[in-house]
Amino acid sequence: MNPLLKVEDLVSYIGLYTILQGVSVEINQGEAVALLGRNGAGKTTLLKTIMGLVDTRSGLIKLDGESLVGKPTYGIAKLGIGYVPEDYGVFDQLTVEENIKIAMWKEDKPTLEKRDYVLDLFPDLKMAYKRLAKTLSGGQRQMLSISRALVNENKIILIDEPSKGLAPVIIERLAQALKEISKTTTILLVEQNFALACAVAERYYMIDEGKTVDDGTIEELKQNTELQRKHLGVI
Amino acid sequence: MKLLKNIDKKTFIAIGVLLVVLSIVPHLAKLSTITLMSRIFILAVYAMSYDILRGYTGFINLGHALFFGSGAYIGGILFTKIDNTMGVFVLAVIITVIYCSLAAYIMGKIVLRGGGVIAAAMITLALGEIARNTAERWRSVTMGADGLPFKIPDIFRDRLGFYYYALIFLIIMTIILRQFILSPTGRVLMAIRENEQRATFLGYNTSKYKLIGLQVAGITSGLSGVMFGILNRFANTDLLSVQQTLNALLITLVGGTGTLYGAIVGSAFVNTVQNYLLDLRSVHPIFERWLLFFGAMYVVVVLFMPEGFVGLWNKYLKDRRTKKNSRVFEKGL
Repeated sequence: MNPLLKVEDLVSYIGLYTILQGVSVEINQGEAVALLGRNGAGKTTLLKTIMGLVDTRSGLIKLDGESLVGKPTYGIAKLGIGYVPEDYGVFDQLTVEENIKIAMWKEDKPTLEKRDYVLDLFPDLKMAYKRLAKTLSGGQRQMLSISRALVNENKIILIDEPSKGLAPVIIERLAQALKEISKTTTILLVEQNFALACAVAERYYMIDEGKTVDDGTIEELKQNTELQRKHLGVI
Repeated sequence: MKLLKNIDKKTFIAIGVLLVVLSIVPHLAKLSTITLMSRIFILAVYAMSYDILRGYTGFINLGHALFFGSGAYIGGILFTKIDNTMGVFVLAVIITVIYCSLAAYIMGKIVLRGGGVIAAAMITLALGEIARNTAERWRSVTMGADGLPFKIPDIFRDRLGFYYYALIFLIIMTIILRQFILSPTGRVLMAIRENEQRATFLGYNTSKYKLIGLQVAGITSGLSGVMFGILNRFANTDLLSVQQTLNALLITLVGGTGTLYGAIVGSAFVNTVQNYLLDLRSVHPIFERWLLFFGAMYVVVVLFMPEGFVGLWNKYLKDRRTKKNSRVFEKGL
C-alpha cells in the first residue's frame, strides 16, 4: 500500500540554519501517527516544511504520490492538508462562526454536515458561535482551530502541540475529541504530552536534532522506558 | 431581503430618518452648503474605496489617486472631445471601469510580487507619480498643470439636482461595497488583514484576493473621480497626486479604518472642518494657515482615537454584545 503522506530524507532550513537534517516519515490512510521528541528537535519545523512555510533544501514530500516540494502553501492546503498550528491560527477579530465559515471552501451539504459534526464534537464552540475568537479561552481556541481543519474534505490533518498551555482537564477533553476524530481522519500529531500522544496515536516517529531516530507502534514505545527517558524525559 | 441582512431594526430606522433628512436639507440650505454636501458624498465613496484596501487588506497604496484622477480626466476629456451628453457620461463610466480595472490589475501584478507593505507603498507612490507626470506633460489632451475645464451634461448642471445624484451615487456604492465586504471574498480579505499566513494555510491564494480588492477599490475610486470632476467641472493633476491619496487616508483614519461607513463620517467631518477653517480666513489671518490646524487635528485623532469615530462606536457595540454573550455562555455552563 502506498503511504498517504511520504517524507523522505527531508532537509529544510530557515535563513542560515539547517533545521531538518534527514527526516523520513510515512503515514497511511486512516492512521493516527505521533511525532515525538524534545523541544527544538524539529517536529514543528517538519509540519511547517510540509505546509511550505519553511524552505526545503533536499528530500521529498509526497501526498498521495504528488510532490509538495516547491508548491505554495495555499496550493498544499488545497490538495487536502489541514493544518492546526501551535498558536491556534484563529482570526481574533472574526467571530467563531466567521472563523469556521472562512475555512469552508464550499457551503454544500457535505461541508455543512461536517460543520454540524464539529459543533457537536465541541459544544463550547456552538455556545460561543457569535463571539469574537479573541474572547475564547486557550482550549476553545484550540477546538476552533481543529474544527477549521475538519470542515473540508482534507485527506490528512497536521496538529501541532494541541495540549500546549492547556489545563489537564481540558487536555483530557481534547484527547477524547482527537480520538473520535482519528476514527475518520488521518492525523499527524506533534505532541510533547506523552499521555495525549498515547491516547490518540497508533504509531510514532521520534525526532531528535532534526533527524528521525526511531519509529514503531505506541504500544512498543510504552514498553520502552529507556527510549522514553532518552527522548521524552519521561521517568 | 439579503440586502438588509445584519441590519437591526434600530439601525434600519436610523438610516431611514437620515435619508429623509438628507432629502429635505438641500431645500433649506444655501448653495454653498449643497455643494459641500455633494463633495462630502463623493469623497466618502473615494475614501470607502481606500478603506477596502487599507482597512480590509492592510495594503497601503500611495498611488490610489491614480484611479480617482483618471476618472475625473476620462470624464473631462470625453466631454471636451466628444460631447457633453448623458450618452458620453455613460461611455465615461464604462471606460473608467475598464481603465481602472486594468490599471489596478497591472499595479497589483507589480506590487503583489512580494516585498512587504513598505515596498508596496513605495512602488504605488512611484506609479502614481508616473501617472501625474504623464498627465502634466500631455498638454494637448489634459492641458497640463493649468488643468482641464469642461462642460458637463445638462442634467448635472443644477446644483440641487446634482446633490441628489451624488447622494444616490453614495447609497448605491455603499450597498455594493457592503455586499462585497460581507461576501466570502470580503471575509477572506478580512482574514488576510489579520494574518496573511494563516489565510494561506486555509487554502487561499492571498495575492489573488488582494488583487480583487485592489480592482474593486480602483474601480470605485475611478467612479468617484468621474463624479468629482462633474461636481467641479474641472480636472487637474492635483487629483492624481499623493496629496489626494493622503486625503482618502486621513478621511478613513478620522472615520475609522476597516469600518466602511467610517469613510462617510470621516468625509463629513473632514470636509466640514476644512470648509469652516477656510471661512475663518476672513476673521483672522492666522486661518490662512488652516492646514496647521488640520494637521494638529489629525495628530490628535491618531493619538487619542486611533479607531476613528465609527471604530470607537463599533468597539462599544461589540464589547456590549460580547459581555451579553458571555453572560449567556456562563449561564449555560
